[in-house]
Amino acid sequence: MNHAIVLAGALIAAGIALGGGAIGAAVGDGLAGNATIQGTARQPEAQARLQVIMFLIIGLVEAMYFINLALGFYFITAVASQVK
Amino acid sequence: MIFLAEAPPGTHPTVSVCSAWYCIFNYDSLISSAVAIVITLLVGFLVAYRLSHGVPGKLQLLFEFLIDYVRGLIRESVGEGGGFIVPLAMTLGFYILVANWLDFFPLTEPVHPANADLNQTLAMALVVIIVVQAYSLRVLGVRGYFRRFTKPFEMALPVRIVFIPLNVIEEVVKPVTLSLRLFGNIFAGALMVYLIGSLITFLAGLVPAGWPGTAFGVVLTPIVEGLLILWKAFDIFFVGTIQAFIFTLLTIIYFGMAREGIEEERHGGERTSAPATAGTGG
Repeated sequence: MNHAIVLAGALIAAGIALGGGAIGAAVGDGLAGNATIQGTARQPEAQARLQVIMFLIIGLVEAMYFINLALGFYFITAVASQVK
Repeated sequence: MIFLAEAPPGTHPTVSVCSAWYCIFNYDSLISSAVAIVITLLVGFLVAYRLSHGVPGKLQLLFEFLIDYVRGLIRESVGEGGGFIVPLAMTLGFYILVANWLDFFPLTEPVHPANADLNQTLAMALVVIIVVQAYSLRVLGVRGYFRRFTKPFEMALPVRIVFIPLNVIEEVVKPVTLSLRLFGNIFAGALMVYLIGSLITFLAGLVPAGWPGTAFGVVLTPIVEGLLILWKAFDIFFVGTIQAFIFTLLTIIYFGMAREGIEEERHGGERTSAPATAGTGG
């Protein structure tokens, strides 16, 4: 019973972490895209350079989410192996 | 299907050379990084061997473009005397790219994308940070090196003392984020491949007893395989390439940050001697 509670808590925690990380990554991606659109509208000739920077920022932003995903999975497997 | 039989990623088979804790090696990571190193070296030597002053081949053209780009970045953010960073940053970036793109091939058990092991990425990040610290010591001197930890130079002294722990944390966190970023991306990619692969057994378990399960399998298998191909294309082409680029770029940026303080001192000196001339061309 105790073990089931611990495991359920770990799964819920990982789910919350993944959800929160997804919100953050989505907002960050949106901000990067927003800035790129504004910059392109202001200076259309800078589009190519801005897109490189945008993908760079998106890579940085989404890295946080992927770290989240990897560590969440580690968390679940660690707890699950302890609980047995 | 092979991918169903695989163990979940993150569990590495280990081999122990001696009894101490530091003698345990993840031999699969050693093998896969060795494969990536050999391919990196082969391509590098191939380009160097077929180097020509005339019309360059496509590979040489690509390398020249990349090296030129990295040189430009270093000139912008580090300035003069940063020439020694070009080989370091280029080698790391190209090696990471090769190691990530190896995932295009159907890798079997002992070989996996080398950066899916934290030991691999942490080693690279530590090398970068140690060289950065040495460079900082050499450029700024011992006094300037420690002065860099009181960072907002234009603030009053008590404020700068408050900022010391923050600067120390910033310095310590650099290798951690640098390694975790790459590791998290590549590991999460392998994890998603595993999860999408196990989706079909999960869905097959949902089919109630008595229903024709094989019909579901016939419909679902191509869908799951299509998902797998889509994810791998995104993961390797987009994420793998961008992470290699980001690792290179952050290496250069950290070198640029390692010489903070040198410009301020120079500007301060200029300001006291010649306040009227404000023209400092870049």
